[in-house]
Amino acid sequence: MTQLALVIDLNVCVGCHACVTSCKEWNTSGWAGPMTDHRPYDEDPTGTFFNRVQTYEAGVFPHTETYHFPKSCLHCEDPPCVPVCPTGASYKRKDNGVVLVDYDKCIGCKYCSWACPYGAREIDEKQRVMKKCTLCIDRITDMSLPESERKPACVLACPTSARLFGDVHEPDSEVSVAIRERGGYALQSEWGTKPANHYLPRRKTRIQIHEDELVRADNPLKKEDLPSLPEGGETLDDVSW
Amino acid sequence: MAAQGKLPGRQPPDRLRKRVSDHFDPLPFYTAPLEHKLIDSQKYQISALTQRPMAMYHSWDSQNAWLRQIHTHNYLFVNPKLAESIGFGDGDWIWVESPTNKVRCMARFSEAVEPGTVWTWNAIGKAAGAWGLDPKANESQKGFLINHLITEELPPCEAGEHMSNSDPVTGQAAWFDVRVRIYPAEAHEPKVTSPQFKLQKRVPGQDAKRGKWQGFFAGKFRRKHNID
Repeated sequence: MTQLALVIDLNVCVGCHACVTSCKEWNTSGWAGPMTDHRPYDEDPTGTFFNRVQTYEAGVFPHTETYHFPKSCLHCEDPPCVPVCPTGASYKRKDNGVVLVDYDKCIGCKYCSWACPYGAREIDEKQRVMKKCTLCIDRITDMSLPESERKPACVLACPTSARLFGDVHEPDSEVSVAIRERGGYALQSEWGTKPANHYLPRRKTRIQIHEDELVRADNPLKKEDLPSLPEGGETLDDVSW
Repeated sequence: MAAQGKLPGRQPPDRLRKRVSDHFDPLPFYTAPLEHKLIDSQKYQISALTQRPMAMYHSWDSQNAWLRQIHTHNYLFVNPKLAESIGFGDGDWIWVESPTNKVRCMARFSEAVEPGTVWTWNAIGKAAGAWGLDPKANESQKGFLINHLITEELPPCEAGEHMSNSDPVTGQAAWFDVRVRIYPAEAHEPKVTSPQFKLQKRVPGQDAKRGKWQGFFAGKFRRKHNID
């Protein structure tokens, strides 16, 4: 069975919010829209977003790291928001595993937002229905789009390619390989919700310098009959003969 | 070369001769920022920097309904060790004072800033009523700019008065040269950023103020307002 999901690489996310705004741009005018804003130009503006980036600091100066953590619906394989819905508005698509809300059935009771351990659902205070990430269902299933564009808006917008999209049940897909080979993990797996979205952890980035690469093998000076370079003295670029 | 007296012809004025010969050195060299040499560096020890929020890069109108939910006001990021030595806490109202001006704002502790430096997001603070925002909008009540602290001209120096506070070669404004001191605001002071300005009136032709709810749906707004 297909299970579409996002895999987010925390090692390269720089917290630019391009995924947040591109998500809102696509979805507010699409199948799941509008994404209502309250007090848009007044004090304490607030509104519906399907995707938010939270930023944390870890460690003490100078050994500090800043983490940017994009958060959206994880499209759980066993989503706790679905069985609690009294009207059947909240459902998981059988063909691709995407968790969706049918606004025509939703009565805005918020049971699903209490059941979701990840805080992924946001009530639209104007329409009084629950809204959430649809994985851009109206994009990824739109066969009139070229295949390269049948991806969620956030994935297409990400300037650092921190967001991967694909089928986590297909063992050789880009996302499955990334989870397997780069330590991909699910959030709060102890809840048994089996989130489909995964995160790739931060990694220590080290430069590998090989001693022999520091010396130009094809140094033209060596090809001529010139006195040898002083030991440990000037570097190649400093020498003028 | 002319400044060094090695070329005939047009010469820089004597008051600028040293400045030209020093700064037009063809080889790279280090010098302390011009402003640092001309202020009380004992009193003003802390560097103040700004950074453009990434969410607003290439979209300079930060009053956009969506972007202003991401950054609706800013804090001055301060290393906790520096704050402890001065005596204020996370979220406290503080004054940031440069040799020329001062700004009141809120402090936010951050371990990601060097203790001798403070910084904030720039271009979030707005004057009340500006950019079509409500007079009570967070941008004007809690947001601030450190532009007020930065002087356009250097203090009088050997090169004369009214010298631009900018790089002598490129003319790049010396924004990051500003040195400040910070101290807690008094308990009785209003909990808004300072300076505050006279409320800006709406200008003729400006859109009517939008409502309390906005559900943007591409195309609908244009139809509603009969825009082709």
